[in-house]
Amino acid sequence: MANARRDSTAYTIGFAALVCLVCAVPIAAAAVALKPRQELNARIDRLTKVLMVAGLMTADESLSADAVEARFDESVVTRPIDFRTGAPDSSVDVKTYDARRAARDPATSTTAVENAARVIRVPKVGIVYEVVKDGQLRAIILPIQGYGLWSTMYGFLALEGDARTVSGITFYEHGETAGLGGEIENPNWQARWIGRKAVDEAGTVQLEVIKGQAGPPADDPYRVDGLSGATITARGVTSTLEFWLGPNGFGPYLDRVRSSSAQGGTSAR
Amino acid sequence: MRIVRKLFDSLEPHVAPGAKYHKLFPLWEGMESFFYTPSAVTTGGPHVRDNLDLKRMMLLVVIALVPCIIMALYNTGYQIHHVVEQGGTLIDNWQTAVFSATGLPVETSSVLSCMVHGALYFFPILIVTLIAGGTAEVIFSVVRGHVISEGFFVTGTLIPLILPPTIPLWQVAMGTLFGVVIGKEIFGGTGMNFLNPALTARAFLFFAYPAQISGEVWVAAIQPDGRSGATWLASFAEGAGHLPGYTWMDAFIGRIPGSMGETSVIAILLGAALLLVTRVGAWQTMFGVLVGTLLTAFGLNMMGSETNAMMSLPPLYHLLIGGWAFGAVFMATDPVSSAFTSTGKLWYGFGIGLLCVLIRVVNPAYPEGMMLAILFMNMFAPLIDHAVVQANIRRRTQRYGQRAA
Amino acid sequence: MLDKQTRSVLLDPLFDENPIGKQVLGICSALAVTTLLKPSLVMCLAVTAVLIASNVSISLIRSYIPSSIRIIVQLTIISSLVIICDQVLKAFAYGVSRQLSVFVGLIITNCILMGRAEAFAMQNGPRASFFDAVGNGVGYSLVLLLVAFFRELFGSGSVFGVAVLPLVRDGGWYVPNGLMVLSPAAFFLIGGLIWALREWKPKQIEIEPVVEIELEHGAPASRHAA
Repeated sequence: MANARRDSTAYTIGFAALVCLVCAVPIAAAAVALKPRQELNARIDRLTKVLMVAGLMTADESLSADAVEARFDESVVTRPIDFRTGAPDSSVDVKTYDARRAARDPATSTTAVENAARVIRVPKVGIVYEVVKDGQLRAIILPIQGYGLWSTMYGFLALEGDARTVSGITFYEHGETAGLGGEIENPNWQARWIGRKAVDEAGTVQLEVIKGQAGPPADDPYRVDGLSGATITARGVTSTLEFWLGPNGFGPYLDRVRSSSAQGGTSAR
Repeated sequence: MRIVRKLFDSLEPHVAPGAKYHKLFPLWEGMESFFYTPSAVTTGGPHVRDNLDLKRMMLLVVIALVPCIIMALYNTGYQIHHVVEQGGTLIDNWQTAVFSATGLPVETSSVLSCMVHGALYFFPILIVTLIAGGTAEVIFSVVRGHVISEGFFVTGTLIPLILPPTIPLWQVAMGTLFGVVIGKEIFGGTGMNFLNPALTARAFLFFAYPAQISGEVWVAAIQPDGRSGATWLASFAEGAGHLPGYTWMDAFIGRIPGSMGETSVIAILLGAALLLVTRVGAWQTMFGVLVGTLLTAFGLNMMGSETNAMMSLPPLYHLLIGGWAFGAVFMATDPVSSAFTSTGKLWYGFGIGLLCVLIRVVNPAYPEGMMLAILFMNMFAPLIDHAVVQANIRRRTQRYGQRAA
Repeated sequence: MLDKQTRSVLLDPLFDENPIGKQVLGICSALAVTTLLKPSLVMCLAVTAVLIASNVSISLIRSYIPSSIRIIVQLTIISSLVIICDQVLKAFAYGVSRQLSVFVGLIITNCILMGRAEAFAMQNGPRASFFDAVGNGVGYSLVLLLVAFFRELFGSGSVFGVAVLPLVRDGGWYVPNGLMVLSPAAFFLIGGLIWALREWKPKQIEIEPVVEIELEHGAPASRHAA
């Protein structure tokens, strides 16, 4: 088959162009046609994680996309907030807004104050999830992230309606050492957090992961144990909480919740 | 002894080549040469005639390890008693039960009591190592038809010395099997392995079961509230500085928490002296490690860092802690997995020292860098030898060429 | 029934010419995705599908491809297929595609695809190329699933997510082996598999010429010309 025509420059260029064209069509078609489905998947994935940390769904429950959506709408409110003031911000569409993506764009984010959790940028508008039942705020779910030993750990922290007591924590993406720092994904370890106090009466973040043994939540409210041998991961989790619950994270928002609950507003207690 | 000799002689025809039980020849040979000096000697040709054969060499290493073993027994018990004196409690296990039955006092001042308590932790690990490793060695010898190598006794003695006293025995068996099989046998047995089998075993355990070999496993007792049983090195890495309650002298004598046999620098120095005098261990390797460590640590000290406490750890401390001395004397000098040429040994050792300090200081996850540094350089040893030999050839060709011209 | 040649094209890559075991291709993905069986299975299906499509399409146009841009054309076709595959996974198997992350995209660099395109599809018709792709895809999958089986069983105590060895953390007795979760474990396992394969089929042992004089029992060293 080898002939001069097949190896001529014009034929080569023409052939290359044709291959590109033929290949481009199905790729474009697939990308356009599948986009809505992919976005729905990403959204359901996020909602599922929120529902789980809020205790509204268990790990071995498998629900259809509609069922997840329905359960979420039934009891959770997605609330965009202005990071600096903690006030509600209605400038974004909660259905499509992705805070993690917004944090990467200089236009929609600000440089974070230097912090031990190694958070570099914070979006201007953050998302919190509020679990409301019978008109009362039952839980607040905050997306958190911070640097562990190897890479950034992403998770959710759930606080009770008083914006003080931890009701759950989860890490869904991390690169910590299996068996040591990797224990942050262990449900048994996560269960040790329930009932501890994240902040003290003055609103300062106090909760930390310690070496050695911590007492039961009632006697030892500010300490969590059980990451034996994973000093740096433990420190990373502590500084993650410190950052996100502090004044540069969700602090202003949490202050608002606390002051309104002190006035007997939407408090669950 | 004549009975023993007769026994071996009467068995020999059965395991001779072609005989029914020839497959068991390695077993017979192993036992026979354990009792008697092998009659096979090198004759003729360019061989060096020396009484030092592999068996004697390995035996010398084991003898050099004796001070470390004694200190391992003493310090393992000492650490337990130390913690108890600080308000800690004993672990509820059979070792504690047996120890209480002896009626010995739980005191750091009683050397005998410390040694007995340490022995209760050390010997089970040693026995498991020897059984697991010995079984693997015998199976491979029989299948592969090579003789049982005495190198295993060294590996088997080294493994317990580089493990924490609290390690579960099944993990000891797994680690030993991995070290002997993957680290040595699949490459053809002693002499063919490019990794140090004992360190391979430890590396396996370090990555497979990290929870049992890092953190607070170094003392077989329950720490009192608010105190941690971490090693000195880990304590430095966390920026906590000196391990509270221990002095520089403690580290030198070996009374600090750590792997059982590698804390006592003085015991290791005794072993080093024996290895150097008998020339079983190469001074080039040890010297290279020393220089590499000191230079790197000094350089990092100069650089300094506000966030990394390890950066400012004085060079001398690097030599005292984290099994550095044990690695430099007993692991790096392993004649099989180290470089072979004299110049190569210097570079090989230097690389170990450099990497050890770098891993300790720069990588927050692995403060205990000596093991990884040695394994890493094990892999480069053939390359270093190649470079040294090639450089030599080039130099000689040049010299020869110049004369000819 | 298939004729003899087709049979050998289809079946040889399973054991005799296994892409991982004998040709040592596609190792990167075998190390990265084999911690659990489920993502491995999806990876196998993805690679096999892309391999079939690329082999057949390249074989169809093989006589029209100018030799000077041969490799680039192959690469364009393969990467287009991989992108489509990635998009489909994101739409229909979101969870698994999250677990596989970049490794779906990295199928492009899987040497099996380029290797089969260059070594087989460029010289053979679409029918034979199809069987070659199926054979190699299945051969690759066999090894991947075997490695993933051991890694999931010993690293996480489960098979396809179903707990087989109850973990200590869940109140069972099995302490998971952390090494199995790390990529080097796949190296050891693949090494072990190649060892076993060569014990079974000694023809695959590559003997260096220099060994010839040292062989025992006078075994001919040249029986395998690599």
